[in-house]
Amino acid sequence: MTIIPELREAVIDGRAKLAVTMVTQGLEQGIPAETLLQDGLIAAMKEVGQLFEEHEIYVPEMLVAARAMNAAVDVLKPQLVEHAVKSSGTVAIGTVQGDLHDIGKNLVAMMLKGSGFEVVDLGTDVPPERFVDAIRAGADVVAMSALLTTTMTSMKEVVEAISLAGLRDRVRIIVGGAPITARYATEIGADGYAPDASKAVRKVRELLTV
Amino acid sequence: MSTPDTTRIPSTRRTSRERVELALRHVEADRVPLDLGGGPVTGIHVSSLYRLRQALGLDAPGTPVKVIEPFQMLGEVGPDLVDALGADVVGVGLRTNFFGFANDDWKPWTTFDGTPVLVPGGFNTDTGADPQGGLFMFPQGDRAAPPSARMPRRGFYFDAVKRQQPIDDEHLNVEDNLEEFAPITDAELAHVKREVERLLPSGKAILGNFGVTGFGDVAFVPGMSLKHPKGIRDIEEWYVSLSLRPEYIYEVFDRQCEIGLQNLARIHAEIGDTITAILVTGTDFGGQQAPLISPRTYRNLFMPFHVRVNDWIHSHTRWKTFIHSCGSIWRLLDDIVAAGFDALNPVQTSAADMDPSALKQKYGDRITFWGGGIDTQSVLPFGTPAEVRDMVRDRMRVFGPGGGFVFNTIHNVQAGVPVENLLALYEAVGEFRDYPAG
Repeated sequence: MTIIPELREAVIDGRAKLAVTMVTQGLEQGIPAETLLQDGLIAAMKEVGQLFEEHEIYVPEMLVAARAMNAAVDVLKPQLVEHAVKSSGTVAIGTVQGDLHDIGKNLVAMMLKGSGFEVVDLGTDVPPERFVDAIRAGADVVAMSALLTTTMTSMKEVVEAISLAGLRDRVRIIVGGAPITARYATEIGADGYAPDASKAVRKVRELLTV
Repeated sequence: MSTPDTTRIPSTRRTSRERVELALRHVEADRVPLDLGGGPVTGIHVSSLYRLRQALGLDAPGTPVKVIEPFQMLGEVGPDLVDALGADVVGVGLRTNFFGFANDDWKPWTTFDGTPVLVPGGFNTDTGADPQGGLFMFPQGDRAAPPSARMPRRGFYFDAVKRQQPIDDEHLNVEDNLEEFAPITDAELAHVKREVERLLPSGKAILGNFGVTGFGDVAFVPGMSLKHPKGIRDIEEWYVSLSLRPEYIYEVFDRQCEIGLQNLARIHAEIGDTITAILVTGTDFGGQQAPLISPRTYRNLFMPFHVRVNDWIHSHTRWKTFIHSCGSIWRLLDDIVAAGFDALNPVQTSAADMDPSALKQKYGDRITFWGGGIDTQSVLPFGTPAEVRDMVRDRMRVFGPGGGFVFNTIHNVQAGVPVENLLALYEAVGEFRDYPAG
């Protein structure tokens, strides 16, 4: 059975049409959707993350691999829902108020999705209330992105809004973006920081592990 | 507040132009040259500029500053501030800006943070269209066209609005990504000539910024000056294309380069060697942690055209060539230097693997560091004046020896910088710039 290895290669190489063909054939052959997800897609995205951290691939290749993964996940989704396959957790992600930059945020969202998380993408220029609403709607993690020194202060406002709403204990907060540091994350009361999309997935997993 | 003492002039005094030329030839002048406002990547946001000019007593309270670059909302530094700070560089660009309207016909406007400014007549934003209270900007100032950029409410800059037509990979057309790479008009050439003639008597080094060879610059890719851009215009799609559609990208660059070189020839015919350096490309190759593209992608897709442009400029003019690239680009620098660039900007030392000493040691005799003077992600906006001063001294000591250094903040001075830090910055430049620097 070569579907799983071929599916992994298709995702790593960013070949979206091939990845979709592989999951379709896999389902037709009776391979459970969860197996295709875990052993095919999530394993592939783990390797993509590794290659990225080792500077073997860069942003364009990551984006392309993530798109291939997304295309394949969309085929699997109905099956995953039908068989009540649980996600690893729900992450609400957005670029903070005043900031429109989203490529980094999109990469993190795609990597999280490819790692088995349910992702609610709030978009850009997201005011604090929308992050709060996302927690009320079931998010386990709030992930915030900012590229600018002039907007990173919005992250603190979000943490404060979550606390004021009495929801701080219900959620883990992770932050990232070019001017963000681990020290800044601690300063504003966030739970974690990651410097890139690959490490963001590891950090979210770590934060959700009891 | 007292005016900072920025004019300690030693016995041998060079003109600004000589100072910069010596630096670019890796020779120590009398002092390290300074750039503030010479170009669209060495400037200052209007909000910070207003506060600086007020603090130095250059303007009466409420005097607006001109927005000479509306995409990043950069202000016109002005000859009085250039002289007050001892800056050595002035800039010349095209008459039309990123949004395709001319920098003229000035009218009053107020930024979200209350800074009084003057904006060009074509700066026609629409507040009503954005439900979140942001501003839309329109290509060529035409509100009948779909907006091409947006500034969020309480924001400081514009960003391109995504305007991506569906892509048919079977029928890609290179012409679709060439619309804004047109032959330079006679009107623009006349404007450039007039500007150069106006600036030459100042004795400052002139940095030319014409945008005709900015291949793959994501400030240009969205085509914010175009009303209905075709081709690949979404920035994320552009990055994807570097991996998925390299042949298309190569062909686009090839055609853009052909047009660009023709434009450079016409510009040189008009102004000769009056400019000291030219900003060739502003494409960002680095992110905070690593290059955005692989060394192989730079070598295959970008380097051939950078070599072509640098070779043309060096064999037909006396201009020095200037590359701007944000981010961590250590892994690309061997090739960037080999491509023939004379100056590197902004030298983002806060990015990974961009250690000042390592940069100076490895590349200091081959490329001039035009930047690197102060960290603008942490120290300048969030540090103390003492920390600012210490960093300036350190950077003068590391980058200054042997010339090859033009002091500039790492990229434009952003909004939100405390004015005490700005004063400390330029006071420290004045204190530590005489050779031996630091």
